[in-house]
Amino acid sequence: MAPPSAAAVDTPNVTDPSLYLEGIPHDRFAQIRATPGLAWHPYEDGGFWAVTRHAEVRHVSRNPELFSSAIGHTNLWDLEADALEARRSLIDTDAPDHTRLRRLVAGAFTPKNIRRWEETVRAITGELLDEFVAQGGGDWVDMVAAPLPIQVILTMLGVPTDDADYLVELSNYLVEGTGDAQSIPPDAFGNTTELRLLPFNSPASHALFEYGEGMRQQRQNDLRDDLVSHLVQAESEDERMSRNEYRNMFHLLVFAGNETTRTAISHGGMALAAFPDEWGRVLADPGLIDSAAEEILRWATPVMHMRRTATTDTELAGTSISEGDKVVMWYASANRDEAVFEDPFRFDVSRANSDHFAFGGGGPHLCLGAFLARLEVTVLLEEMAKRSIRLEQTSEPVRARSNFVHGVLSVGMQPAGGTN
Amino acid sequence: MAGEEMVRVAVDQELCIGAGVCELLEPEVFELDNDIVISSVTGDGLLPRARADVVVDRCPSRAIAIVEEEL
Repeated sequence: MAPPSAAAVDTPNVTDPSLYLEGIPHDRFAQIRATPGLAWHPYEDGGFWAVTRHAEVRHVSRNPELFSSAIGHTNLWDLEADALEARRSLIDTDAPDHTRLRRLVAGAFTPKNIRRWEETVRAITGELLDEFVAQGGGDWVDMVAAPLPIQVILTMLGVPTDDADYLVELSNYLVEGTGDAQSIPPDAFGNTTELRLLPFNSPASHALFEYGEGMRQQRQNDLRDDLVSHLVQAESEDERMSRNEYRNMFHLLVFAGNETTRTAISHGGMALAAFPDEWGRVLADPGLIDSAAEEILRWATPVMHMRRTATTDTELAGTSISEGDKVVMWYASANRDEAVFEDPFRFDVSRANSDHFAFGGGGPHLCLGAFLARLEVTVLLEEMAKRSIRLEQTSEPVRARSNFVHGVLSVGMQPAGGTN
Repeated sequence: MAGEEMVRVAVDQELCIGAGVCELLEPEVFELDNDIVISSVTGDGLLPRARADVVVDRCPSRAIAIVEEEL
């Protein structure tokens, strides 16, 4: 994995987590996009190829035989072999393991089956919005963006929604773990496992594993019509997944099932407040809701990158990539690629091009929850439109210190008027 | 049936990950089995070439192919 010495010495840094406290460093990504070939980006004691243009992110994402998810890690830093095994989830696998694990959960997330949750999503959303209006606003993350997706995913899993706050709290610590500062000690939540063996190096992962184990034991003798029971059955009876795969799957479903859509809704609310004319267009023409939802997803890019590792010597954008090189797909950049999106920094609720990478760049790792996230964002917009809610932002967002998830910890919002 | 060329599509069930994109795009042609969550072609699997190209391109696991044959 010898870094090419001549290549892109001047690549602007896009990994410093503190940059993201001010938002995505779009100017830096624009500079990298405009530079021919791939940029070599130093990182720790090595580096990675920064893939920033839409076409090339797509190429990496759609060619898993060239760019592996199972080697090294899908985050920027490499893991030791035992840590990779302990932490391996659906995200960090290639076929055939990926195909096997994905099929265990895929059925719950197909477009057809997700549509069955529409009334549940609508009821939860309506309650949250009514409370938000009744209170005269407050923290948009706390009141709407966080509770909506966590309540939905917990309902699907069969986890008591009473525990939603606790699981959101754990998720927040996991987000911290993607940055460079963890606010809890290594032994938090009674953790005794070495942090390198835990997802996001976080003791909160230990807590989430424990929670998942509790659910597993409960369901073992009391199978129900929920996703946890389905996984427990796959693990215990059919031996289609190992115990370790179960705990990582549970962890992934809870974390990715809430944190990502929370981020989309957080940024969505901020965009609707920042561009009231665009939201006005939706209120005037609800036919724009679908394209507005896609634009929010593009705008938010909840997961800003994923990493792959080259399985062979190959070439991309005229740049030679060696076997073992890290290749990082920057969705946050591709979603602002001026070669694909006209006027990419404009929030346009009627944008015709919905070929964004909010759910990855295509290929087998297409976000499992893509259709659930779409449903949640769409229903949110419908219910806001029904109530004629216009948002006004009342405080600056507090953003996550992370180059990986585009998280918003809090942002004040109030309904303007509440009626038309 | 003037104009549009029809082609036959097929699913490689080894590759299918059960995302359900095909069933969403072409519900008349693809159906996911609810237990094993693998797509299969229902009926004769015929689609206009342009629509077949879209579903081939959108399948995340590249499990769908156009079967080139004389129709």
